[in-house]
Amino acid sequence: MSRHRNAQEILPPPVRIVVTVALAVLVLIPIAYTLLLSVTPDTEIGGANLLPSHWAFSNYLQMWSTVNLALGLTNSLIIAGFASVISVVLAVGAGYIITRFKFRGRRPYLYSLIGLQTVPQVMLLLPLFVLFASTQAALHLRIVGTYPAVVITYLTFALPFATWLMVSYLGSIPMDLEEAALCDGATRLQALWRVIVPLALPGMVVALVFAFLTGWNDVLFASVLTSPETRTLAVQLQAFSSAQEGGALPLYGQLMGAAVVSAVPVVILYMVFQRYLIGGLTAGGVKG
Amino acid sequence: MSIQPVETAPEATTTIVSAERVEARAIGSRPMWLLWPSVLLLVVIIGIPLLIAIYISFLNLDQYTLKSWIQAPWVGLANYVTALTAGNVIGASALTSLGVSVGFSLLTTLFITPIGILAALTVNTQYRGRTFVRSLYLVPYVIPTFVTALVWRQMFLNGTGLVDRFLAGIHVANINTYWLLGPNSFWAMVIADTWASWAFIYIMVLAGLQSISHDHYEAADIDGANSWQKLTRVVLPQLRHILGLALLLSTLYHFNNFTLPFVLFGTPPPAQADVLPLNIYVSSFQLFNFGLGGAMAVITLIIMLIPGFMYIRALRLGEMTAS
Repeated sequence: MSRHRNAQEILPPPVRIVVTVALAVLVLIPIAYTLLLSVTPDTEIGGANLLPSHWAFSNYLQMWSTVNLALGLTNSLIIAGFASVISVVLAVGAGYIITRFKFRGRRPYLYSLIGLQTVPQVMLLLPLFVLFASTQAALHLRIVGTYPAVVITYLTFALPFATWLMVSYLGSIPMDLEEAALCDGATRLQALWRVIVPLALPGMVVALVFAFLTGWNDVLFASVLTSPETRTLAVQLQAFSSAQEGGALPLYGQLMGAAVVSAVPVVILYMVFQRYLIGGLTAGGVKG
Repeated sequence: MSIQPVETAPEATTTIVSAERVEARAIGSRPMWLLWPSVLLLVVIIGIPLLIAIYISFLNLDQYTLKSWIQAPWVGLANYVTALTAGNVIGASALTSLGVSVGFSLLTTLFITPIGILAALTVNTQYRGRTFVRSLYLVPYVIPTFVTALVWRQMFLNGTGLVDRFLAGIHVANINTYWLLGPNSFWAMVIADTWASWAFIYIMVLAGLQSISHDHYEAADIDGANSWQKLTRVVLPQLRHILGLALLLSTLYHFNNFTLPFVLFGTPPPAQADVLPLNIYVSSFQLFNFGLGGAMAVITLIIMLIPGFMYIRALRLGEMTAS
């Protein structure tokens, strides 16, 4: 026997290599093209040659003044940051009660968390916008375009998802440890804070990262509810992209540079936390 | 056999069992108030708005009546009739959009399934560089959707995009083929979404593969099964449950995908790619016909109830077998 045959092997090695290479090529072509465009001078995009005459790394410098990327990055950080922290804090409390106690309405609550994932987001944006707009007209108070308005709408997806993740994570933590603490005279709250929270920290990080990324990636809510000062990165790039159709010289090089800059931190974050995040990726099919 | 962290749904079902067990010996008071903020918030930001959305769908509500929307004229089912019959500015009625959305979500799911299964099979055995391949497979999936859309917008630009350059290079299509306008736009959307989302099926299948006992493979080997028989008689039957869940979730996700077509085409989108969420968005926030948008949203929700119900049922079934 020349080679140990692995029983789990379904694709024969030659087939496996061909499939892997084909998939890798398909994955890499659009990425390589984007990287290429991002260093192509704007005057050469759409020319006869795919490869530029020189590498225009300056695109990565110019784009910061062409679009106010710094503002967009800050806004995305603030809005997605607040939404994710609020949802995780609330989700830990809710998850603890759901996994530790039996009470009326517990199961319907769990199912509604799942059911909420089928509600189209635009269906929530519509009444929230109407509520915000009519309230601000009645009270002469500015709501649309402020951070809290966007943060609240982000909670509509971040909170159910974070709760669902925390329910499954806290459920996997054995009760014995906190019971020991309770026997030693700790209150429920002390047990939660001193025993459960430290143990649940990895799960909380996953929920935080996911809630943050879904906020970071949102275009729908932010495109309606942000003003020029609170515009997130995603909406800025979307607006920048559609502005390139007009006339003059489209700044595709800078646009792709900005796209790279908004994707790279996310991809790195996923790769670093890959092992932990994959579980969250499959939980409910909500993607970051 | 350890349960993989990926199997979140079944894990949650064990939760339900263990909570009941612990209840019997629970000590101390029940700090139920920990639950109230999140329940209250969910009711205020989701429950009430959902009811308002349904109410709005029966109103003639536009930017002029918005200020006092409660007093806006009640028009009964008129918005629903308009949604299902008349087109909006770009000529797509809700019914047309529904067709586009159903076609888009089902076709994309159909395309990503074999790719995802094949990809999972390539990394199911240990070899050098496997970790790298696994990470690489995830990249398109984790790139933010708005970036994916920006990238594919460049890929599909007529005349200068990579797709047209390639197709013209192999003499399949004219260099000036339009992908972001007209009938091709539907396919542009399907291709871009297939590229971005096949890894979802891959992740789910990989999780399922890891839970298949090694004995099953060995038994198949002893029986002299070839690769194809192993796949169709051993692996796929055992993946049935997780794959069913994956297909359902994928269809739901694609149906509600707003970002990709919105950034890929801008507004108004080509009629052939005017998916339901985009149509609702344009009707509500660009034409300011909130009543019509509401009616379309309610129609979407009713349609979503079917897969949503199937999803919850699938999880409940898992729970019954677990207890």
